[in-house]
Parts: sequence; structure tokens; C-alpha cells
Amino acid sequence: MNVAEKTHFIEADTLIGKRIQKKDAPEKAAGKTRYIQDMVLPGQLHAKILRSSRVHARIVSIDTSAAKALPGVHVVLTAADVPDQQPIGVARDHLPLKGERVRSLRDEIAAVAADSEEIAEAALKLIRVEYEDLPIISDPQDALKPGAPLIHPEPHGADGKHLHLKPNAPIAFAGKPDNIAMQFDYTHGDLAQAEAESDVVFEDTFKLHYVTHCCMGVSGIIAEFDASGNLLMYSNTQVPFLHKREFAEYLHMDPSRIRIIQPPIGGGFGSKLDIYPFEVICIFLARAAQRPVKMVFSREEEFLASPTRQPVLLTLRSGCKKDGTLTFRQVHTLHDNGAYTSWGATTPFVMMQTFSSLYRVPACDYHTTAVYTNNPYAGSFRGYGNLQATFAIEQHMDMLAEAIQMDPLEFRLKNAQDAGEVTGQGMKFKSCGFKECLTTAAERSDYQAKHRDNIVHRGDAGPVKRGIGIASMLHVGGGAKIYPSDGCGTILKLDDFANVTLITGASEIGQGSETVLSQLVCEELGLPISAVTVVNNDTAITPWDVGVHASRTTFIAGNSAIGAAKKAKAKILAAAAKKHGCDETALDLRGGFVIKADTGEPVVELARLMRNLHFSDKAELVMTTFYYEPPSVHQDKGFKGDVSAAYAWATQVVEVEVDTDTGIVKMTKVTGAHDVGRVLNRLGIEGQIEGGVVMGQGYALTENLIVDNGVTRNPNFRDYKLVTAPEIPEMDISFIESMDGEGPQGAKGVGEAPSICIAAAAANAIYNATGVRIFALPFTPEAVYRALHGKAEKPQLQAWKVTTT
Amino acid sequence: MTPIEQYLAPATLDEAVGILQQGEVTILAGGTDLMPQSKAGRLAIKRTLMNIRRIPELKGIALDNDAIRIGALTTITEILNDPLVKEYLPVLADACDHFASDQIRNAGTLGGNIGNASPAGDTLVPLIVLDAEVELASKPNGSVTTRRLPLAEFFTGPGRTKRAANELLTAVRIPLPKAGHVARFFKFGTRPALDISAISIGIAGVIDNGVISNARVAFGAVAPTPIRAARTEEALEGRRLDEATIEAVASAARDEVNPIDDVRATAWYRKELIHNMTKRILDHVAQA
Repeated sequence: MNVAEKTHFIEADTLIGKRIQKKDAPEKAAGKTRYIQDMVLPGQLHAKILRSSRVHARIVSIDTSAAKALPGVHVVLTAADVPDQQPIGVARDHLPLKGERVRSLRDEIAAVAADSEEIAEAALKLIRVEYEDLPIISDPQDALKPGAPLIHPEPHGADGKHLHLKPNAPIAFAGKPDNIAMQFDYTHGDLAQAEAESDVVFEDTFKLHYVTHCCMGVSGIIAEFDASGNLLMYSNTQVPFLHKREFAEYLHMDPSRIRIIQPPIGGGFGSKLDIYPFEVICIFLARAAQRPVKMVFSREEEFLASPTRQPVLLTLRSGCKKDGTLTFRQVHTLHDNGAYTSWGATTPFVMMQTFSSLYRVPACDYHTTAVYTNNPYAGSFRGYGNLQATFAIEQHMDMLAEAIQMDPLEFRLKNAQDAGEVTGQGMKFKSCGFKECLTTAAERSDYQAKHRDNIVHRGDAGPVKRGIGIASMLHVGGGAKIYPSDGCGTILKLDDFANVTLITGASEIGQGSETVLSQLVCEELGLPISAVTVVNNDTAITPWDVGVHASRTTFIAGNSAIGAAKKAKAKILAAAAKKHGCDETALDLRGGFVIKADTGEPVVELARLMRNLHFSDKAELVMTTFYYEPPSVHQDKGFKGDVSAAYAWATQVVEVEVDTDTGIVKMTKVTGAHDVGRVLNRLGIEGQIEGGVVMGQGYALTENLIVDNGVTRNPNFRDYKLVTAPEIPEMDISFIESMDGEGPQGAKGVGEAPSICIAAAAANAIYNATGVRIFALPFTPEAVYRALHGKAEKPQLQAWKVTTT
Repeated sequence: MTPIEQYLAPATLDEAVGILQQGEVTILAGGTDLMPQSKAGRLAIKRTLMNIRRIPELKGIALDNDAIRIGALTTITEILNDPLVKEYLPVLADACDHFASDQIRNAGTLGGNIGNASPAGDTLVPLIVLDAEVELASKPNGSVTTRRLPLAEFFTGPGRTKRAANELLTAVRIPLPKAGHVARFFKFGTRPALDISAISIGIAGVIDNGVISNARVAFGAVAPTPIRAARTEEALEGRRLDEATIEAVASAARDEVNPIDDVRATAWYRKELIHNMTKRILDHVAQA
């Protein structure tokens, strides 16, 4: 190819901000992507789990003899067969197989590995379990009442094995003398003084419901031991390196003998951030069968046994002065932990940030108690508590503004932060486009005029009322230093044809990380996107990464990829300078060539240079590594500290039509302004924001996992209502480019942001339309209709006053 | 679940009703209700699974004297696109336009929607107010005989009808509407389509000089079967659609239905919807 002769000068160009198709799009659109569901290993068995048929009960006996006798069944396991099982989860309160007691309907009692799914199913039906029912706690407020039944009492095994426990034994072995799973307490400022200075104070309780992720790809795993006892897992996890270490602990194995390969993952949204019993059980089955064992959930099982968003009862007191200055916020929340502790219980980490630092608040006092119940347990879910916190705060912002007769936008602008501020919680806003988000979203939606007009027209004839509501959010945008490291490693190599293999620790779970990381590398190396192959799914190959969470991948893995690419570039330019007798600072990479930086004149084709380097006396390849650790810090014991390297902001304005005859709320338009630092892949970020808005819309209007006395009543897509195409509102999205100094090319994380404000803004819009404020989600037609007719029950929260100081 | 012992796909009506006569048969048409229900364990497939999709007599929409005959195998999509339906039975087309998703409409059949006998079946309420009859064929004594039943009397409970085990639902016959005939359908679900009705309403009648006659009112998802509402019809029959009549009809409707609480709605809310939406439908007719 003799390109150089035709193109004497290569024009400067950039990939940043362009609309770049996701690298995996053609495969997915063509149905060719091979998910874990599609994988078949030679000799593979199929596994199914027998779950409890009681909400809370003592297990009297389990009889698996008939199941074991069924032809085609290879292994049947109960807790008795794995005496070495270790408790999983954040609080180590969860044994994968339950032998003594079931605490919720999702609880695993036995598991079968068989030649086919059908045989495994048939075997489950042959297992006899005798239960002795125990009293059920389904209302978290009951869990704290004196004399409430204990969900995790000290085990009373007939063998008295608990007597051998060490003093600090995990809850699963030692029990818990109360139903309190976790507590969080945070404070800054002088609450009493701030309250005394307030002209207006509101106190309200908000109720946030159960929803679940509904990933298109349901949970699944294949586990296999080789002849040397090494474990290979094909897993959908979002956090392979953390899991490798945890599995090693649970299985008493050397972590170096565990390898995790992630097949393409059909969505995560936080659901694949914890280890679940099914994964450990599948490994037990594979160990017992000495065959690969595959376990994939049915959709119903996914609804019943995968985690939910954290349901919360939350009392918020907020105050302000007549001039519109916020004075304080005091918060007590009761988190329904469910029967076991997963990440849901730790959502206060994020919630308190929003209470302490979304808007300037001189005093903030925050308390959470997470309690055990017999309900499904909550995990992490896109937004991680922030939807719940923002729902309460932004309704109070509107209520305070109305009470002091101030325009809601003006009130927010008066209390919004600027770049350079440090909050009471120690978050440093190095870049901050908050005010621009507020004004942009308001202007583009004509918020102020519509807000005034809608109030005037509330009393007009006709059943349909129009409303507009505003809400904003603050979320980590530069990772979150929760673990010892919040870093990500990259290995980068160029081959003889100047094609790049980018080996990154960052997992692709559908969010588009492969594409954006390729883009960042190509921007440094002057190559087209097609020149990059990404390897990102094998712990035996990829360098360490903490995982996909906290909207961190573009920021952390992006900086890591740029670091490796810059090192490669330096090496290339040095080699080119030496070979062509010029100064390396006068050279650059562009369009597949080494060029003269000032004129764009090609010096040598990059592929040719690579071959010259390789096939020479001093043979050399261009291979670089980089590990990026963000300059964030761990919080202190009071939860203070600059936990993220950057913070993302957004304002969303939601417009609704409320049909007062039916209570149905139609979301007609969402106008969003997002401080994303900088747009990298415009197509990708638009998709991520549109998808996030729809997820927020579902949370606000239609999605509701109905849990009734511990029983999930709608474990299917017929009765669990996801938003479908006809209801998706018109969207007008603006990007505020605050050019974060630490971000890759100036970008900040955006993954979680778009879901966060929708429910809060919808609540304000419904109030604007009807004059009725609703404190509980979701705004289903019946809930709204009841509220409009004064028949809504206002949420109450009493328990915290008894249990916290 | 007992395993299916035989699968049959007859090519003629005669053959099909002959198979039914032998007993223990589950009929498969579009499969959009049968498959999820059998998978969920709510419906047991009998010894013989009979696919009726190859039977030509069960297909097509045609004028038949003073009626429109719709074959049981006609899909919801075919009804939606049919010129006869558009011209004479727009209320049925409207109901089909709120029916599930495109994929389900392409597979699901009218006969299946009726045979499934869900209290929330989307085509049932409009067909009832159109005075539709079902046509049932059987072969009791070696030759095919048919009988007809008004659809309003066909349903006996959720999933249950007056179809005998040896009968095949072959078609629906709908009398051609008279001049001045008006019919409306309303379905309430959380989503505009792809949703099970919390309630549905069908109202029809002939308007002559502003006066309504031949009033028909039917409701879905408020009783074990779709129901015709006699007292509501009475409140409407022979009246002009003024404000007082409309309120009286809407109130009669609310009093007449006796729905239940379930995951989709409470009984109270269903009654409110019946009132408010009956009123809205009649307001729209009055204004038109």
C-alpha cells in the first residue's frame, strides 16, 4: 500500500466526541454473540436448585434418596454434604446451602446435577423437605420491635457444633442477638444551630419500593475442575478479580488455582457485583461430579432469587431560611435488608453523599439501620441508593421553595455548588458543571414558564393535567475508593502490522467499555478503531481491576489505557527519531504513520516501523503496561474524605400528563443536562443516557416487585411491568463539558447518573400538575388515583426513634 | 405434567372433529396462551396434542349473508388488517390494536382468544357487544354437525366455556351492524399495549335522532368471565346521551360490576375505572 505518496500531509483529526458504533454491535444485532446460555462443554451436566417453599421455617428433614435414584442424576447435594461450606456476603451471614433454617422463599435447600435440565427438574420434585414454620417478619419496622423473632439466632445444631466457634465467628455460625444487619451514622455541622436558624422546616417520610434489574441475560455459571484440581469458571460477574479472591476463601483454595472467564454478559446494572449461593453451589456440584456443571436461571428464578434494589423507608427533615439558603438536613432510614446481607445494606455510602453534598448544606445528620426480615435481599443496582436519596431531597427542595415563595430553579441555583468547593463530607469538586446543568435543562425545557402556567391551569376543565418537575443529582464520576485499590491495569501490544491488542482488566457488560477504551488508545496512537482488539474477560490474562461499579470504567480503565498507549507512543517515537535522525519531540502519530508534528508530513508508515523494529539485530516489540490508581482517598471512620477522583452532575426536567380519571401518568418529555466532563463516544453516551432515563422511568412509574408477606407475587414480565417502546418519552439531552483535569481526555463517569433523578423529577411534575404530593413509589395508576382522591396512605417511620441515639 | 403421547396435525375439519371425538385432546392453534400456561403448570396438556393450523375451513374473513364470519384460525394481525373488519367492525379492529405485541398478534388467533376464556381477553368484550355468536363443530355420530351459541352465554368461568370436549370452535359470526350503529372499546392497563387489562369496556348501540336503542354494554376483568351488564344497558336503552343519562349509566356500571383484588388492581380501583371510563366513552360518543 503506497498511501504516503498520495497523502503528503496527514490532517489532524480526533476520535473524541465522534459517534462510534460499539465494537460488539454487529455480533449482537446478528444474534451471533455466544452468551453463557449458548455454551456447551464436553461432558457438561446441568444443575438446578431446590428452593424453600416456606418463607421462614426450621428444616426438620431433607430426603434426597428418590432424587439420587433417578436415572441421569449425577449429584444431589444438601448442606449435610458440604460440611466445609463458608458463609458468603458482605456480613458473612449467608451459607449457600441451608441445612437448619430457611429465612426466605429464595433459600437454597438442595441442588442437583444431571444429564439434562429436564432430569434435574424432575429430580427436584422427588426431594422431600419437612419444615416447621416460624413466625414471619415482612415489615422491617416489626424487625426492631421488642421480642421480635430473630432471623439469625444462634444456631442450635443437634451436634452442638456452634460450641467450637471462635469468638469472632461469622454471623452464619454465631448468630445475631438482634435483627440489625448494619448501621451507619454520619454528621457534619451544628444541627441544632442550623435548625434554630431555619425559617421553614419540613419533615416527611418517603417509601421506596422493590424493583429488580431485569437483565436480558439471566444469571448463569459453568464451573469445571481440571485433573490437577484447578477451578475454571465461566461467569457473568462484574468483578472477576474480587470474586477470584473470595471464591478462594470460600473453597479453601489457593487463589492462583482459580480462573474466571467472562463470556459476553447480557447486562449487569450492579446485579453481578456480589457472589450468590448459586455460584458456590454450582462449584460444589462440579467438585462432586468431576464434570463441568452449568447452571442458568429461568426468568422466574431470576425474579425470585436475584437481588433487588434496596427498599427504603426514609424520614427527612430539611430546613431553609427565607432568603433561600439551605440550613440543614436530618435523615433516618430503615433499610429492609431481607434475610441476608448483600450490597443493598451498604447503599448509605452513596445516600449520605447526596444528603451531605448535593447542594450546599451547613449541617447534615444521617442515620441508617438495616434490618433482617424474611423478604428477598437487596443488592447493588445502578445508582446505589442515590435514586432513593434524590427522591426525598428533591421533593423537599420543591416544598421548601414553595414555602418561601421562591422559584424552584432560583432556589436550587442559590444552593448549588461551584468548582473548587469542598463539602462537609470532604468531597472536593475539582470540576463542577452543576449550575450549567440546572440552567441548561431549565432553559431547554422552558421549565420556569411551564411550571408557572401549569399551576394556573390545574383547575381547568378536563381530566388531563400537565406538569413539569426538576431534579438534580450528584454521583461519583471518577471511581470510588472502597477497596484497598480502585485501580485498573492495562497491557498493550502492537503487532507487525501496527494492530493493537488492548488487554484490560475492565469488564464489558454491555456498557460499551471496549469501544471507548479502544477510542482512547487510538487517539494516542493515531490509529483507526478497527486496529484494536480488546481482551478483557480472563483473569489468567488480564491485569487486575476492581470491577464494573461506581460508574468507574471509562474514568479508571480509560486513564489506564491512555497510560499504556502513551508509553507505547513514546517508545515508537523514540525508535522513529533514532532511525530517521530527528528529534522525537518533532514527531507524532497520525493516520497510521509517524509524521512530522508541525506539518503532518509522513515520516514512516507505522506498520513498517514496527516490522523494522522487530526484524532487526536488536529485535524489539512494542509492549507496554500501565496501572492507574486514581488520586482519591479512603473515607475516615466518620465517612469523610474525597472518595472519588471526580464527581458527575446532572439535572433532569420531566414533563408529564396526569389523567385524573385513571391516575395514569404519561411521561411526555425528559430534558436532561449532564456534566460528563467530556463526551468521548457520542453514540455510546447517548445510548447510555437514554437507557438510564428509561430505567428511571420504570422505577418511577411502572416497575414494582410486589412482595407480600415474604412472597414475590409477580415474578414474570406479565405482571412486573417494564417500560415498553410506546411509553418512552421524547428526550432532549445536553452534555455539559466541564473538562475534568484528571479524567481521560477530560471525561467523567456517567453510567449510573441518568437513572437517578427521574423519579424525583416525576414526583415534582405530578405535584405541579395536580397539587398532590406523593411520598411513596412507584407512581402506578392506582397509587396516583388514590393519592388524587385522598386515599393514599402517607408513609410512616417510627422505629428509628427507638433504636438509634 | 404427563408427557404428550401423540401429536396430530389434521388437514381437514372432518378429520379434526373425528380426533376430538376420541377424547383426551388439547387443541393447539397459535400457542400464545397454551405454551406459557402449560409451562407454568396452570394447564395440563392432555394425551393428544392436536395442531389445527392446517385446516383451511378455519381460516379467513368473509361476508356470509347478513353477517361477517371470521374463521377461528384468523390471527389478530389478519383481523387488524382486514378491510371488512375496518369497514363494518371498527371496534374489533380497535381492540386488536391494543392486543399484546406484534409477535403475539402474528401468532395468536381469534378462536384461541375465545377458547382461552380469560376474563380479560381483549377481543371478547367487543365481540359480545357486537352480538357475536360462536360456531362449534363436532362429529358425534359419524358426520359433522355444527351449532351456534351467543358469545355472551359461552363463558362459564376462567378458562371454562360451554364448548363440549368433542367440539371445535370453528368461527365467529357477527351480524352486520345496522345504520347508526356505534361501538366503542376501552382497555385499561399500565401500558398502552402488551398488558393484561385491569378492566375493559365495550359499549354499542344504534343512535337514531339522538336516542339509543339496542344498547349493549360488556365488561372484562371484573368477574370470572367477561360479562354483559344488563342493568347498565337498561340505564342506556331508549335514552338521549345527556349529562344525567351518562352519569346514571356510569353509576349503574360501577354498581353492577363485582371485581376482585389482585396484583393488577384492587376491586375499589376497578369500580372507579369502570365508572370513569364508561362516562368518558359516552361523553366522547355524545360529542361526536
